[in-house]
Parts: sequence; C-alpha cells; structure tokens
Amino acid sequence: MTPEELFLKKKAAKKAARRNQPEEEGELKMTSLMDIVSIIVVYLLKSYGSDPIVITPTAGQKIPFSRADSPIQDGVPVYISTRDITFGDKKIVQLTSEGDIDPAAVKNHLIGPLFDAMSEEADKAKQMAEARGVEWEGRVIVVGDQKLKFSALVDVLFTAGRAEYREFAFCVIKTS
Amino acid sequence: MPRRKKKATAEGEVEANLIPIMNIMLLLIPALLLAMEVASFAAVNVSPPKYAATADQKKEDEKKEEPLNLKVFIMEDGYRISAQGQQVGAEAGKSADSTRPTIPLAKPGAPLDDFERYDYAALEAQAKKFKQQFPNETVVTISAENTIPMQVLVSTMDALRGSECKLLKIAQGEEPPPECYFWQPIVEAGAG
Repeated sequence: MTPEELFLKKKAAKKAARRNQPEEEGELKMTSLMDIVSIIVVYLLKSYGSDPIVITPTAGQKIPFSRADSPIQDGVPVYISTRDITFGDKKIVQLTSEGDIDPAAVKNHLIGPLFDAMSEEADKAKQMAEARGVEWEGRVIVVGDQKLKFSALVDVLFTAGRAEYREFAFCVIKTS
Repeated sequence: MPRRKKKATAEGEVEANLIPIMNIMLLLIPALLLAMEVASFAAVNVSPPKYAATADQKKEDEKKEEPLNLKVFIMEDGYRISAQGQQVGAEAGKSADSTRPTIPLAKPGAPLDDFERYDYAALEAQAKKFKQQFPNETVVTISAENTIPMQVLVSTMDALRGSECKLLKIAQGEEPPPECYFWQPIVEAGAG
C-alpha cells in the first residue's frame, strides 16, 4: 500500500467515524451578544445624558449652520420659528406671515408675553440657584430659524435682557 | 378539612429562552441608530443688543479710546464695514458712503433667502487684514437691516471669526490662536 493510499484510507475511516457520531446539539452563546448590547445601551444613554440641555426644534424649524465649535452650555432655550415663539413648552407669541412678531405683543422692542414668561422663569431659577448656593448664570439659548428676521431676533434678545438674562448664545448646527 | 396534597413535580430548573428577545433587540438597535438624525449642536456666544447709547455711555467709550471699533453692517446690497469711525471704501473726505457697500454681494440679484448671496470670503479677508493691524482686538459690532435672515448673521459671524478658528481651545484656557480674528460679536440693533 502506497503512503497516498494509506492516507486516503485513513481519511475515509475518519469520515465514516464522524458520520456515525450522534449530532451534538448546537448551543448559542449569549454572553458575547449580551456584552455587545450592554455596551451599545450604555453608550447611547451616555451620549444622550451628557448634553446639559436637550434641544428639540419645533416642527418645520431649520436651525442655522455654522462652523462654531463651542459646546452649548446650560441655559434656557427660546425657540423662534417662522411661525411662533416657544418658551418653556408654551407657544408665547405668533409671528405674522411676513416673519414679524405680532405687533400687538411688541412695545418698544419688548415682547410683553415673552417678558412675563421669562421673568417668571428667571425668578424660579434664581431661587433654585440660591437654595443650592450657586450663582445664577442667566443664560439664554436662542434656537432660531435660518430665515428668522434680524428685527425679530433682536426683539427677543432685548426682551431676554430686560428679564435679567445676561448671557446669550445662538444654537447652531455644527458643520465641518 | 382535607389536606391538599403537595404536587411532587419533577420539573427541573427552567431557563428563559432569550434568543427571540435577542433577535428583536439586534434588529431594533440598528433600526433606531439609522432612524436617528445625528446633528451636533454648537453655540455662538453673543453679547446682548444695544439700542441708542446714552450720553454717559458715549463719554465712557471716548475715555477708553478703542483703537479699532470695528463695525459690520449687513445690508441688503452687501456689507458696510467701518473701523475707527471711518467706512472702508468710502469716498475721500466722507466717513460713510450710503451709495456703495464696502463688500458688494457675491450674487447680485439673488433673493434674500439665498444665504450665499453675500461674499463671506471677502469679509474674512478684510477681517484678517484688520487683525494683522490690531492683533489684540477681538470684538466686533454687528448690525443688520431688519429683513436680514439669521443664517446670514451666523455666517457673517463665522467669517469674522475666521474659518479655521477653533474656539474650543480658548474655552479650555489656551491663548487665542492667530487664525481667530474677531470672535466676540456684539449684536447692535437699529444702527444700520
């Protein structure tokens, strides 16, 4: 018998032995899958939780793009779409079809209903800061629309200033 | 009262079948990740708007003797830039020129909602020139006509700050890099 024949014979014998063996029941290893899922869940929770504030633009609102890279710091968001101004989940003032603030709500650049809402919020925030023994920063984050008119924007900033907010930031979408 | 007989069960330990749950999870996670709109937000810090300055404020400003006092007015026909009270590109002997902008539109005749109608590159080049002359200046006053959209204002701030400027370094306590020109904007209303 040549070595080649011997090798083939042995191979055939092994194959036959394998065939006769009872099939082992395959068992799925869950540990590695659970590890992956846990890592993804923790990552997602962390990425959502690390933002100091959650910006949720109103329907149809297009936030301006910018190359700015400064992170958004904790503050009170004011949403200004082309239709209305939202503060604290409440629609405060309507904008006209031309994109101007409802003239009935503005007097000498001061938006009355917005001023009332912001003053109330500022008072609450000041009391909370005092109770915690920290200084109130008074930061407003203006989440405006790309098409928001400059006149409407400055009226909002002016009103926020009158409501004792001292720091202003425009929320933008970071571009590369 | 008859006593209830205890059932003698030969049941072994029952293991929960996690495979269907894992199947759903594995399908859900990529689906949610794909559905998620990823937009990273950033902030452009601005100083509050100024209206007409009072007499006292004006006196104070004069005492400080600000050397540059850079002002950029965004008009519907382009940018008017003034430094030290003199409009750049104005006729000789005039402090301002209402007939001609310093930097005309890049796309003349384009509608107002075309945000690329302004020549941001020319504005940045002008800011770079000023920065070379006044390396310690970081403040710029920006004003606009009432109809100017917010995107144009933000893009103007980007150009004045410098396209290569990374403010995150400054926030971390580093020295302002030379590629950052005027990164402290003041929004002024009613000046344009």
